[in-house]
Amino acid sequence: MLFFNNPVRLKTLAESMKIERSTDIFSTLFLTIVLLLLARPAFALDVEALVRKVEQQYMGASSRALTTMQVKTSHWERSLEMEAWSLGRDYFLVRIIEPAKERDVATLKRYREVWNYLPKVDRVIKIPPSMMGGSWMGSHITNDDLVKANHIEKDYNLRLIKETESHYLIECLPKTDSAVVWGKIVYRINKTPQVPEQIDYYDEEMIRVREIHFDDVQQIGDRTVPLRLTVLPLEKPDEQTILHYRQLVFDLPFDETYFSLRNLKKP
Amino acid sequence: MLLTLAFRNLWRNKRRTLLTLSAMVVSAALLILALGVFSGMFRDMLASATEQYYGHLVLAHSDYHERRDMFAHLDEEIASRYIPTEDSEIIGMSPRLRSFGLISLLETSQPVEMLGIIPDREKQVTSLQTKLVAGVYPSDKVGNGALIGLGLARKLRVKTGDEMVFVTQAADGSIGNDLLIITGIFATGDSRNDNNLVLAPLQWVQKLMVLPGRIHEVAMTLTDPMLAARAADRINPRLPDNVEILDWGDLLPEMREVIAAYDVSRMIIVSILYMATGLGILNTFFMSVMERTREFGILMAQGMRPWTIRSLVLLETCILGCIALAIGLTCGAVMTLYMQQVGIDLAAYITPVTYAGGTILPHLHAVFEAGNFYVPAGMLLLVSLIAGFLPANRAARLDPVQAIREV
Repeated sequence: MLFFNNPVRLKTLAESMKIERSTDIFSTLFLTIVLLLLARPAFALDVEALVRKVEQQYMGASSRALTTMQVKTSHWERSLEMEAWSLGRDYFLVRIIEPAKERDVATLKRYREVWNYLPKVDRVIKIPPSMMGGSWMGSHITNDDLVKANHIEKDYNLRLIKETESHYLIECLPKTDSAVVWGKIVYRINKTPQVPEQIDYYDEEMIRVREIHFDDVQQIGDRTVPLRLTVLPLEKPDEQTILHYRQLVFDLPFDETYFSLRNLKKP
Repeated sequence: MLLTLAFRNLWRNKRRTLLTLSAMVVSAALLILALGVFSGMFRDMLASATEQYYGHLVLAHSDYHERRDMFAHLDEEIASRYIPTEDSEIIGMSPRLRSFGLISLLETSQPVEMLGIIPDREKQVTSLQTKLVAGVYPSDKVGNGALIGLGLARKLRVKTGDEMVFVTQAADGSIGNDLLIITGIFATGDSRNDNNLVLAPLQWVQKLMVLPGRIHEVAMTLTDPMLAARAADRINPRLPDNVEILDWGDLLPEMREVIAAYDVSRMIIVSILYMATGLGILNTFFMSVMERTREFGILMAQGMRPWTIRSLVLLETCILGCIALAIGLTCGAVMTLYMQQVGIDLAAYITPVTYAGGTILPHLHAVFEAGNFYVPAGMLLLVSLIAGFLPANRAARLDPVQAIREV
């Protein structure tokens, strides 16, 4: 769920910039680039950086959130209260608070691995690769989404296809050697504030199969973030998953040791 | 008179007659044996598909047949409501609830197919209880004892008595998860079952999936799998619109094809083998007719009609055919019986082969099937008659005067 961030990347980028600025040649070069960018913004738009930036909005180096997930299918409807922690793009932990029956059911993601903790039987289960396409907690988000989503610019070639007064439209086509599930992804990004508005997912036959809509844009600290995210599986028009961040706190003091199997089990 | 004459003629050249006879006997007997073994192989394949998993008939919601839609469930009592208990062909009915999920022990987890069953009922339909390699069949309807395949047990590195977790999406959207205890491990030789299938008590699965009192299908066994299509046609009109019975032929169309093809290939094998035998018979009788040209001439000169001569020769082949048949069928039956009772174990040379949805076991054995007897028998008689017809015709067309002159 907290898969739209990339603070680790951001940090290294910032650090490298600092180093560059310390040398004269690099600073001149940097300045030139900035000037060029200012002079011809449309031409020099770095789409990868843009997509990364809007995805990073969700958190800083670390975050904690209280989230409500409402899942509606043709057979049932339910609402989950969850608490989630994240660190960079590679770690996150989610724990269910409500309903009581599933309290403390938790998911841990570390890099490309996903574990679930089941308090009823007091067991941790690792999701095997063959089940990555399966639904996460009964929602329209798959385990694969959790693992792959933050690697968008690694697996896809990004290209600006349209720019209007208010929006950028960015097309992502899979790189030839990457193992991905989508045939195409299209981002619609709002210019001011710079937040994602909609992401469309196409299958291999280039049929649009899923949409994610973003709204309820709020100012949190120095970030502007859409707090509500709606996943629509287009093959099932009466189904949807709504993820609503109710509390979102950035830049908390914990490191990757927090994302341990022991912490997965311990409420 | 003609019959006595025919008999006597046959025994005039004992060696030749016996040689021909033995060729006919051997071909008939071996053919019956070979067909019996083939039938045994097909029976195994069909049994592996039906008696290890499907059953002969499966009653389910139409949507379930098509898409395995978890929500296309039926009432537990559906079968007793619509299927008359006096239906004598149905000898077993097992209600089942199916769930696809993840089974896990420590670090390893595997996707599996979970069948919720009532042990005593399931035993009437599938024969997994005879395929146990460790432990016992889950004994009650309520507990959490489970039966798993050998391949799965190896992948998970579990043994009987171990505790495992099963996780799946329940019907209310919640995450269904609970503990199972392995009571038994089965090995069918069919990798799909051995690597994927888990059987657990029905009520346990119903509770896990939050589907109390519901099932997905009723698997049924008949006295003879070949009755399945007719039984399905008989029961289907009585069922509600959204419920449907499919027979194993619908569930395993390739298997139906294979079995239909068997009837054709049986005819081809029989024809080829008897073509050779027929030529042998033809040769024998031509020789015997040529030898007796003079004799036939005399008989005709004395007033025997050509058709009588023809019948005489035909009768001879017929008698030979009948004797060959009697001995051949007996020998064939005895050999088939031996193969049925003992068989040949090839486990040391080959592993089970899965084909057309069924498994061919590395154990050759025969079964008795009426067609395997009357097809070769009928063909043998037919071939004898055809092979006898040409020489008989030749004998009948002889000119008495010339025939007598011939030495």
